[in-house]
Amino acid sequence: MHAFSELVVGDVVVAPFIVYALIALVIFLALRPILHLCGFGKLFSNPAIAELSLYVTILGLLTVVF
Amino acid sequence: MTSATITRPLSFAGAPASAWAFGIRVWLAVVVALASSFWLELEAPSTAALTGAILAAPTRGEALHKATYRLMATWIGVAAAIAITGVFSQARDLLLAAFVGWMGLCVYAAGLTDGNRAYAAVLSGYTVALVAIQQIDTPEHVFETGMARGAAIAVGIAAVALVNDVLTAPDSFPQVASRLAALHRRVRDYARPAPRDEAAEATAAGLLRDIAALHPEMASLATESASGSSRSAAARSAAVALVAEVHAARAMNALRANADPAFREMMAATLEGSGKPSPAAGVIGSPPLAAPAGLLLQAFLRRDAEVREALTALNAGKRPRQAWRSPLYRSQRIAAAAGVRAAACLALPSAFFVLAGWPAADASLSLVVLVIGLGATTPDPKGFTALAFIASPIAAVLAGALEFLILDGVNEFALLALALAPFMIGAAVLITRPNRLLSGLGRLNLIFILAIFAPSNPPSYNAQAFLVTSLFVCVATGLLLVAQILVPTESSERRRRWILASARRDFERVLSRRDRALAPEEAMFRDAARISQIPAAAAGHPDSGAMAEALSLFDRAAAIRLSRESVARLAETSLSSVAAEAREALAAEDTRRLRDVGLALKDAASAESALAEEISGGLMLAAAVIDAARHAAPPAMETAP
Repeated sequence: MHAFSELVVGDVVVAPFIVYALIALVIFLALRPILHLCGFGKLFSNPAIAELSLYVTILGLLTVVF
Repeated sequence: MTSATITRPLSFAGAPASAWAFGIRVWLAVVVALASSFWLELEAPSTAALTGAILAAPTRGEALHKATYRLMATWIGVAAAIAITGVFSQARDLLLAAFVGWMGLCVYAAGLTDGNRAYAAVLSGYTVALVAIQQIDTPEHVFETGMARGAAIAVGIAAVALVNDVLTAPDSFPQVASRLAALHRRVRDYARPAPRDEAAEATAAGLLRDIAALHPEMASLATESASGSSRSAAARSAAVALVAEVHAARAMNALRANADPAFREMMAATLEGSGKPSPAAGVIGSPPLAAPAGLLLQAFLRRDAEVREALTALNAGKRPRQAWRSPLYRSQRIAAAAGVRAAACLALPSAFFVLAGWPAADASLSLVVLVIGLGATTPDPKGFTALAFIASPIAAVLAGALEFLILDGVNEFALLALALAPFMIGAAVLITRPNRLLSGLGRLNLIFILAIFAPSNPPSYNAQAFLVTSLFVCVATGLLLVAQILVPTESSERRRRWILASARRDFERVLSRRDRALAPEEAMFRDAARISQIPAAAAGHPDSGAMAEALSLFDRAAAIRLSRESVARLAETSLSSVAAEAREALAAEDTRRLRDVGLALKDAASAESALAEEISGGLMLAAAVIDAARHAAPPAMETAP
């Protein structure tokens, strides 16, 4: 069990989850061109759910590892 | 005997299954947004639910695109709210004046763009109303209100994205592709030889209008999936190539009138056939028209191939070989007039509320701002307000029925979710109706029902609050309608004059080479977007010539830009002096000189002779197109103010 670090902007405390969600979004958006090159969309019958699952996986990994 | 089976789309109660699926998605998005904001104990759960309703779009890409802009605009709006409150917190009237100015600015910005960008511009405006004006007596709470609103909107967006992903909302690109393909067919039909009359002008204007109208949807393809940005680029290229194809078709139609019958037949055969250029296309006899006409046919077929290539790339999710931008034209003057009008329309009800001194007038004022803002993104703001005026009592009655007849004091969330279903699904199904009145009423009711009902945890069931809110919603839309009737709108004639003046100004810039650094095809798309802004005039009306002149300027500017680009290829060769002369002839629109230069180029025996011959044909073509366009709309036409 590790302590989550809180981001403090000015005097406003930002919940750790928001920071994780944003970082996961940035990573996910950076991955998109690579996914497009790999033909990620063609591997699945429903690419939308596959992309959502990928985002959730990244978010989960970030939360567990950092 | 062969029989064709037509598969009828599944439908229920007069609406197709896809409409019901859309309704269920909207309802689920609202419920998920409400549930998560109750669970997170957010201060503004109804904003999260409203986000679910506002982002109700039948396709995934559109909803995500709008969501992105909604988040960005909220951020800008909250920042503006803090700034305006910080500066004017001691003087309420000045604060209102500053807000009116900010709203005018936002409506002006919305007038300069389209689609979800325009929505973002007006949202930046009315966020200030929702954050700063609602806290006008407690300015120290502006920051917290802004944060609460931002959090609720983020939760709402997450709910919409989740529901659309899990319930497999359809993608936007097949629709955009089929509309582009339909336009492609229409452009090919337009190019077919037919008895020409005045309707041809209207057809060309209609085609350009419909192509330019796809602009916002092409932008929303980018957010859809991993291949979204490639698809968006392909759709843009297809649209730009379609505009270039319309130009080629117009040039061909103009020249066809003068061409000999044998050539006309050959053209028809080529167009009816597989789309491959006929071997005879370039070598038909009978000068001087045949060479340009053959070249024109080749140019048309090249554009046709470009459109098909871009459409294939769009469907395959690949980046097109030729990626063009699709620059948008918007009239600064029309946008500025809309901004000033919006500020005036907001100032009148504000002054009324300040003088009346009613309590809770801030909520009513926020609604006025919301209707002004959303109306600014539609072609007819006054019509939108009238629709809101009709929708508000209906929504008040429905919200009352939901709160006091159906729910009537229950506390369970499951019952709230079930009770919301008929209202949300019904309104969302109405949105999908082709009738614009019904569709507008559906959209407004979806938003107004949630705004009046304002679900909260624990539920209040306060009859007095409900009656006051309903009354203020109706008063707000009524006041705004009165203000919009009192504040004059510029007439269609004036609008036409403004757009035509800008078209002439831009054409002067093309001649003097001070125009924007755009590829000729991109500039054509911008001109097409301008033509799409010209309000249609009835035949025989003194202004019905405006469209003809705009189309003539479109043709001439396109011919000059294309020739200038091809002549530029000669700059580094031994024929650079001829190229310089051609540029001068183009700048002066001197078609006789242009033909002379063309002939000189053809005769020039040099290493670049193949290139020179091609460019020579291009120049002759440009001369013919310019002459035909001038003939179609004499430049002396008077449209003085």
